[in-house]
Amino acid sequence: MPTREELALTVRTTISDVLGTGIEEIQERTSLLTDHGIDSLELMEIGARLERALTLRIAVEDLTSAQDVGHAIDLLSARTVGCP
Amino acid sequence: MPVTAHPSGGHRVAVTGIGLKSPAGNDLEQAYESVLKARSTATLVDHLIEQDLPVHFACLVPPFDVDAYVTRRVARQVDRATVLLLCAAADAVDHAALTDPAGPAPDRIGVQIGTGIGGLPSMEEVTLSHGTRPQDLPVHTVPRTMANSAACRLALRYGFQGACTTYSSACASGTTAIGEAARRIRYGELDAAVAGGVDSSVSTVVVGAFARMRAMSVRNDEPELASRPFDTDRDGFVMAEGAAVLVLERWDLAVARGAAIHGEVSGYADNCDAFHIVAPREDGEVAARCMRRAITDAGLTPADIGHVNAHGTSTLLNDRAEAHAIDRCFDGQSPPVTALKGVTGHLIGGSGALEAALALLCAGRGVVPPIANLTTSPEADLVDLVTAVPRTVGPAPVLSNSFGFGGQNACLVLSPTT
Repeated sequence: MPTREELALTVRTTISDVLGTGIEEIQERTSLLTDHGIDSLELMEIGARLERALTLRIAVEDLTSAQDVGHAIDLLSARTVGCP
Repeated sequence: MPVTAHPSGGHRVAVTGIGLKSPAGNDLEQAYESVLKARSTATLVDHLIEQDLPVHFACLVPPFDVDAYVTRRVARQVDRATVLLLCAAADAVDHAALTDPAGPAPDRIGVQIGTGIGGLPSMEEVTLSHGTRPQDLPVHTVPRTMANSAACRLALRYGFQGACTTYSSACASGTTAIGEAARRIRYGELDAAVAGGVDSSVSTVVVGAFARMRAMSVRNDEPELASRPFDTDRDGFVMAEGAAVLVLERWDLAVARGAAIHGEVSGYADNCDAFHIVAPREDGEVAARCMRRAITDAGLTPADIGHVNAHGTSTLLNDRAEAHAIDRCFDGQSPPVTALKGVTGHLIGGSGALEAALALLCAGRGVVPPIANLTTSPEADLVDLVTAVPRTVGPAPVLSNSFGFGGQNACLVLSPTT
């Protein structure tokens, strides 16, 4: 099971890859909507990539309900608990 | 009659910007120099060789700095055809200064794009990579591969809210798009249009499929000699990729805002052979009618045409039928004929737009490029083919032909500024 730090790196890397930004532009306090104008397809793409990277099913609500990147990492962190 | 009126009674249509990403060059002057030299741009393509296709070569767009045009974020969501179109369009829009405050309102600017193949190459790619596990398909598969993707990405980029239409008339698509765009401006629906064509289909399945029809040259040992329109030894067309875009504007509005005018889309016609799903009608009768109608639409007669920019694919059937059609259209008095695909290869949906751009420049400079690789022609008694060196004809309108699978015929008359 990844540590929160490892998870954060995976999430930030995935987001920066989809948005074509540097990873330094994706911080815990970054809002994907406000700061990057993310659209729903990009959000789904991030979700799909994270599902592959983490071998985990990610609920659509987890993606849409996250206030910022840090919040998304927290939600995922909770999901990964107990995963094989 | 005011100078802004077209013979039809509608508005005249000015060309105010041109941009291209093509095997002959990534700007107009470079491409012009290239076609005057009449040297083919065909080159061996590794993945075609690796797949052991009957055809090992194609004409590719020379590398350029895509990052200067398209953000990495967008580049991840679109395919190569869309990238090429966005880049060519950016050059055209800049060239025309179309987004200047004095330019047309965004809801009066349309996007009119032709593509023969559309998103099939990217659908091919994703089918090969994800066909066995469709549950993992990339989220952007539909918006990347849908046939109108390139045109709509272009509209989206600039916020152009006029009619955004994708035309698919096979190899005539680029010509159809420019002609239809001109009509929309002529009859008042739009004040301006970003019009052109694109395809990027040097893919295993698309090239393989065309090769199965024996429509393509298999001169694998001498790819630079493969595209030879109207030549006795031609054996098929050479696949190419690329995009070309023209900015068209209502003439009077272009003048009013002080835009530089590079010429006019003065005539257009299209029709269909309705004869065979891929073969042209051999006597060229319907194609000839299309040419005549385009010339009449421009308010001209055949004698006014300075040269013909032939579709000239280097297939046995096209070139023979087209020679008959030109001979019919001009009553045995063929003006000088060139065929740029000898240099550029066949850009499918991009070819008509690229050729319109180059033909207009040639018409203005009064120079007709020689046809690459043409030495002797079985059609030499029908048409006046330009060989070996450029022919000087004086500035005059040009007839630019495109013919597509399905029997699609589309012809433009482009007139230099006088």
